[in-house]
Amino acid sequence: MTEVLFALSIGILFGIGVFQLLRRDLIKAAIGFAILFSAINLFFVAAGAFEGDFAPYVSNVEAGRQTSDPLIQALILTAIVVSFGSFSLVLGFVNIISRRYDTVDSDDINKLKH
Amino acid sequence: MEQNYFLLGTLVTPLVGAIVALVFAQSNRLQRSIGVLAGLIAWVFCTALLVQVHSSGVQIYALGNWQPPYGIVLVADALGGLFAFMVTTIMIGGLLYTFHSHDKCMTYPAFVPLFLLMEVGLIGAMLTGDLFTLFVFMELMVLASVSLTAISDDQYGLEAALKYILISSMGTLFLLLGIGALYATFGTLNMAEIAVTLVTGERPLLAPASAIMLLCAFLLKSAVFPFHFWQPDFHTTAPTPISAMLSSIVVKVGVYGIFRLVTLLFIEEAPLLERWLSTLGIIGILFGSLGALRTYNAKRMLAYSTFAQIGFILVGIGWGQPLALVGAIVYAFNHAFIKSSLLMLMGVVASFTTTKTANFADISGIGAKLPPTLGWLVLIGGLSLAGIPPLNGFISKLTLIQGGVEREDWANLIIMVAAGILTVMYMVRAWQRIFQQNPAPGTIDTKDEGDSLFAPFLLICVCLLLGTVLAEPMVQLISETVRQLGDPQIYISAVNLPSQGP
Repeated sequence: MTEVLFALSIGILFGIGVFQLLRRDLIKAAIGFAILFSAINLFFVAAGAFEGDFAPYVSNVEAGRQTSDPLIQALILTAIVVSFGSFSLVLGFVNIISRRYDTVDSDDINKLKH
Repeated sequence: MEQNYFLLGTLVTPLVGAIVALVFAQSNRLQRSIGVLAGLIAWVFCTALLVQVHSSGVQIYALGNWQPPYGIVLVADALGGLFAFMVTTIMIGGLLYTFHSHDKCMTYPAFVPLFLLMEVGLIGAMLTGDLFTLFVFMELMVLASVSLTAISDDQYGLEAALKYILISSMGTLFLLLGIGALYATFGTLNMAEIAVTLVTGERPLLAPASAIMLLCAFLLKSAVFPFHFWQPDFHTTAPTPISAMLSSIVVKVGVYGIFRLVTLLFIEEAPLLERWLSTLGIIGILFGSLGALRTYNAKRMLAYSTFAQIGFILVGIGWGQPLALVGAIVYAFNHAFIKSSLLMLMGVVASFTTTKTANFADISGIGAKLPPTLGWLVLIGGLSLAGIPPLNGFISKLTLIQGGVEREDWANLIIMVAAGILTVMYMVRAWQRIFQQNPAPGTIDTKDEGDSLFAPFLLICVCLLLGTVLAEPMVQLISETVRQLGDPQIYISAVNLPSQGP
């Protein structure tokens, strides 16, 4: 049951993220970008969340219980750092662009089109 | 397995250089010297590494002495070592260019550190043996290059940077999704360990899907046909040394990734992927050559030309047999040198104008006021790009076309030769417009002093040396590389997985 819920929420987040990324408003696009990254992180969680229910690397491992996968957590932490970096960079660009062009509508930011 | 410290040194030197350069943020001159020094040391390490790879096999370094499959390993095999050597060599050219440049953006304290971080990302992506680390290094490279373009002197740099970071992040997301799918199915991120499972012919549900996702991400990084639209804008508006790096070695990261996909990981799916690569490559060749013919800006013309040249490399990979792969790697190698020097030369031309523009309408006929060497270097570079016999582009076209003749793929061969003629057309036309005409009425004023010719001159010398005098040893070295690529067991056994015994 949890797997199905996970799959559904990843799918919904992905859909919302892609939809937002394609909006004309650059700020909404940046937010969509953040949502997409959360979808991916959730996908990583799902890759290892359902095996084992016991924290790894603790001294008193109870018999008969499987430890969960610690690598997943490390990967997600790294992915969060990377996505946070790109997200803040995007927001910074949008901030400067909004001042330079006086708009955040991507249709009006078309000086490259000669 | 012995730890190879040259491998670590190649990766860490630019990183340390970036930190040291940040410490000396007060003195711009010193920062640039540190940049060149770090580039040189990394080059020395990388050359030593390449020699070691060819004398005593694949070199590895297990980070923190955590042995694979638990730790992250850096692996330098023949392909990775060769590509890293190419990156470090051209990076020296780029760092030297910053030394004598008058662009305002290069006086920012973050410029040299970001440049060096881009080098870390490039080298790391080519020398890592772990898929997730590959993603981290690629993202480091993207973020550094995007920031460098955003601070460009060109007023449209910011717009191009925003466009690229949104598109590239989409590619990164798919790379991450593909890596996640591989982890969910194989429970490991070590490329050698994934290859061990894949080579047995077992195909879990998510494996082919992740192959497609990784391929798309790499194609986006190399700006191949359906994912190409950001490339001319991004490469044109970047500061000169950055655009030279972007158009020559940053696009090669994608090529490197595709090589890894078809020769190490997904060997069984390779024929299918290769069919796609040939088709996309041919579309790229046609579109890039024609686009370069009708563009209005010299730098933009070279960016479109990169698009076509990557197409040549992909068609070579698409043919798939060893001779064509040799052609593709020789082509990638030569193209990196010629394209970086040509873009720097165009940057020098633009730096002599008052508004730093490379629009043909503004710069046609200003050649009379520029140093005469500049014109000849542009002509040599242009003919070399087109593959005129005594120059180095010839050897790469020759090896690639030999591969095609062996494969008897006549239709694609005809298109490729025709595209070579188009290359001559647009390069010679650009040269004539800039250096042979009398100044037109609309031509812009020139300054007395521009950027130094030294770095592009050096790169052209190196590439002419490689493509003519040293052509035979180079082709032999690359044939040896391809021979090692043909046997993935060499890579796998070097990583020394415990499941396979000592």
